[in-house]
Amino acid sequence: MINTQDITAPLTAIAGAEHLRSLGSTIAVAPANSEEIAAILRFAQENRLNVVPYGGGTKQGWGYTVQPALLLEMHRLNVLREHTWQDMTCTVDAGCTWAAMQSGLAQHGQYVALDPLWPERATVGGIIATNDSGVLRLGYGGLRDLIIGMTIVLADGTVARTGGKVVKNVAGYDLHKLMIGAFGTLGVITSVNFRLHSMPQCTQGFTVAAPAAEPLGKLILKLLHAQVSTVAIQLRGTTTGFDLDIQLASLAEVLHTQAAALEAMAQSVGLSSRAVGGEVWNARQEQMDRDFVCKGTMLPSEIARFAEHVRGLGGESVTQATGIMIAGFPAASGERLVPLRRDMEEASGSLMVLKQPSEMKLDCWGTLPDSLPLMREIKRRFDPEGILNPGRFLGGI
Amino acid sequence: MLSAAILAELRDAVGADGLIVERNQLQTYECDGLAVLRSLPAAVVLPRSTAQVHAVVRICARHHIPFVGRGAGTGLSGGALPDDRGIVISFGRMTRILATDIPNQRVTVEAGVVNAHVTQRVTPAGHFYAPDPSSQSVCTIGGNVAENSGGAHCLKYGFTTNHVLALEVVLPTGELVHLGSPTLDAPGYDLAGVFVGSEGTLGVASSMTMRIVRRPETVQVLLAAFDSISAAGQTVSDIIAASILPAAMEIMDRLAIQAAEAAVHPHYPECEALLLVEVDGPFAEVDLHMKQIRELCKANGAWEDRLAESEQERLLVWKGRKAAFAAAGRLSPDYIVQDGVIPRTKLPVVLEQVAEMAASTGLRVCNVFHAGDGNLHPLVLYDRSIPGQEELAVDLSMRILYLCVDHGGSITGEHGVGREKQQALGYMYSEPDLDTMQRVRCSFDPDNISNPDKLFPRPRLCGEKTGKYTPHPLETAGVAEFF
Repeated sequence: MINTQDITAPLTAIAGAEHLRSLGSTIAVAPANSEEIAAILRFAQENRLNVVPYGGGTKQGWGYTVQPALLLEMHRLNVLREHTWQDMTCTVDAGCTWAAMQSGLAQHGQYVALDPLWPERATVGGIIATNDSGVLRLGYGGLRDLIIGMTIVLADGTVARTGGKVVKNVAGYDLHKLMIGAFGTLGVITSVNFRLHSMPQCTQGFTVAAPAAEPLGKLILKLLHAQVSTVAIQLRGTTTGFDLDIQLASLAEVLHTQAAALEAMAQSVGLSSRAVGGEVWNARQEQMDRDFVCKGTMLPSEIARFAEHVRGLGGESVTQATGIMIAGFPAASGERLVPLRRDMEEASGSLMVLKQPSEMKLDCWGTLPDSLPLMREIKRRFDPEGILNPGRFLGGI
Repeated sequence: MLSAAILAELRDAVGADGLIVERNQLQTYECDGLAVLRSLPAAVVLPRSTAQVHAVVRICARHHIPFVGRGAGTGLSGGALPDDRGIVISFGRMTRILATDIPNQRVTVEAGVVNAHVTQRVTPAGHFYAPDPSSQSVCTIGGNVAENSGGAHCLKYGFTTNHVLALEVVLPTGELVHLGSPTLDAPGYDLAGVFVGSEGTLGVASSMTMRIVRRPETVQVLLAAFDSISAAGQTVSDIIAASILPAAMEIMDRLAIQAAEAAVHPHYPECEALLLVEVDGPFAEVDLHMKQIRELCKANGAWEDRLAESEQERLLVWKGRKAAFAAAGRLSPDYIVQDGVIPRTKLPVVLEQVAEMAASTGLRVCNVFHAGDGNLHPLVLYDRSIPGQEELAVDLSMRILYLCVDHGGSITGEHGVGREKQQALGYMYSEPDLDTMQRVRCSFDPDNISNPDKLFPRPRLCGEKTGKYTPHPLETAGVAEFF
């Protein structure tokens, strides 16, 4: 272990003294660009210092805990570099907050069609590293469908570009897909190219309420197969009942016929719909305030069953029609989540623990996939000294 | 040549009727859609199951024998071109649709299933498999996965990578693994995302689970005639700017129109640029969008527009578009098909430069493109019987690709790098970019036996070799279109 002075002097030379802070045993450094990040990582690799990239700090608790020697603060890389609105693409620094990026894009009525958690604080890079997505995933896909290129810095200081600035491109490997959801274990994302969408001209939200999840589960499947322009569907489950929220996006002239079609579908399962405002779409983020929160994945046909299962454990859930659930549980649920995880895994899904009371010791990631040895090998080739977020990822990668 | 002992192992793995070693039979596998490049493999195996694929790859891993998977051999960049010391794993006998899950909109298939058969299977339930390369009547899902195939409709529906959820893969090291999951966001690295489009260099997929999409309520196609490519291109930008996302937008230039007219008589108007726009969705929405699109066409000077609403009319419109490539043979004895991508707004300037480059070489270039996503398919026409003209044509077609890269685009939008564009990949990406890709390659395939000597740039002395387009026998027979 080298002493603090041996660390601060070289880092000061790279990033400048004003961009260095001491946080107890950790040193926080705020580089200005990819080149400084490359120099910092080269230094860290040589000295085997653990590095944790840090954006808005909203999801640092996800995955296993890492004790960093260096906190790589990304807030100085915060510019929306390019918005070629006629081509509907943009290039943005990874340290830019989601909200700042979107407000820049909104000048031309465009956006990255994704609604992540805490957009005011969360950064582009952190959202990508944790593969966050919200209800819009149904209509527009997830990050893997929206990112067309990236610049990354590897542990040895290699600065690599992947993809490009065009939506259609099959040249070389899709390395950016490897970075999405990798929890910063393979490299540091410094800049991202997105494909953009036009903001919908007209949207309308509806809610269908029911005491049990089962008819709403049927309604979800009906909606997925119907000729209506739904961009978002979520099932909210509380201990007292369930609400299915549906957002339609179409032309104003068309919306009323679609609303009527929606009502007819609700009635076919013995329920009815009512118009609602935008506040219902915050439900996922509200769940995150609880002490014990999990992300479950499932096939759409299993949503109602698992929403009931969560209620049976005294929990609440918000599940997108794509089969991604955020569930909050009472602190005492503990070991009762083990059978839930097993059920979800047996149904081709997963249950990841995002947040749990300190006395709880549930494994974050669940059963390991048979491709784990390959994942380890990729980690070894990208980060041979294991300095990037070591131990954060599944299998202790 | 493979030793008798290795051939015996292969025979044990796939059965005597699953192993081909006779020279005349091997010739069927010596090339793919890039027929100018040929190489006879040492053997071909025809496995019937994942277990047999697994057994074959384990033999290859043990003896360091190169292998390449092969579906219908319709690829256009030499991706399925065999190594002359290697084995071709043909998926011709793995053609089962293993499961259809209509409520969850998923299908699971063996790698040899023909693309169009997936759609045929789920059509009665009101669904389709969205990626639609022009060769979809013969090309296989396994090949689509290797190449990340697109198609005219990927503007709205995305590419193969957006539809593949899970893969059963035999790694070059001999392990059978499952990448991705039928549900979204499987914990771990997105290895399925990296595997799709890796052109057979990371292993071989034996089965896969894909998303299927509900059929739109209605489809309409508009044909509009313009006096210039830039007017047609501007219309495309205006349509996108009006928040309309058509299922497809295609532009053909005068030469391409002539070729198509000569070949299949789609009765296209004679003009400098023809724009084809397909819109699908709920009835009311499509009607309104089409009305807006016709107004935008008029505003940009379209002097004729025709709406094809019936299935028959639509098919005729598309037939002309899809025949344009094969029809180029009517304009010129030889031609090279290129596949580059540019940001949509660069269309006018790039086409102008292509025309200048063509004029300076004295060659003609015919243009057909997926205009919505800036994917150009220039056809360089030439006559190889004129000394030096083939070299000129090859050089021009490569310079067009470099021009695409210079304008912020890509060297391939759908055909892949394969053997054809290895050097061009080195023009598009820098050494650190390629080195990072190699780290992935080496993680999957440390011994470099999975479709070796493809995709990555080779030492300069090997040089770039592209070549004239030679129609696939299926294309000549009128069974399938290839673009």
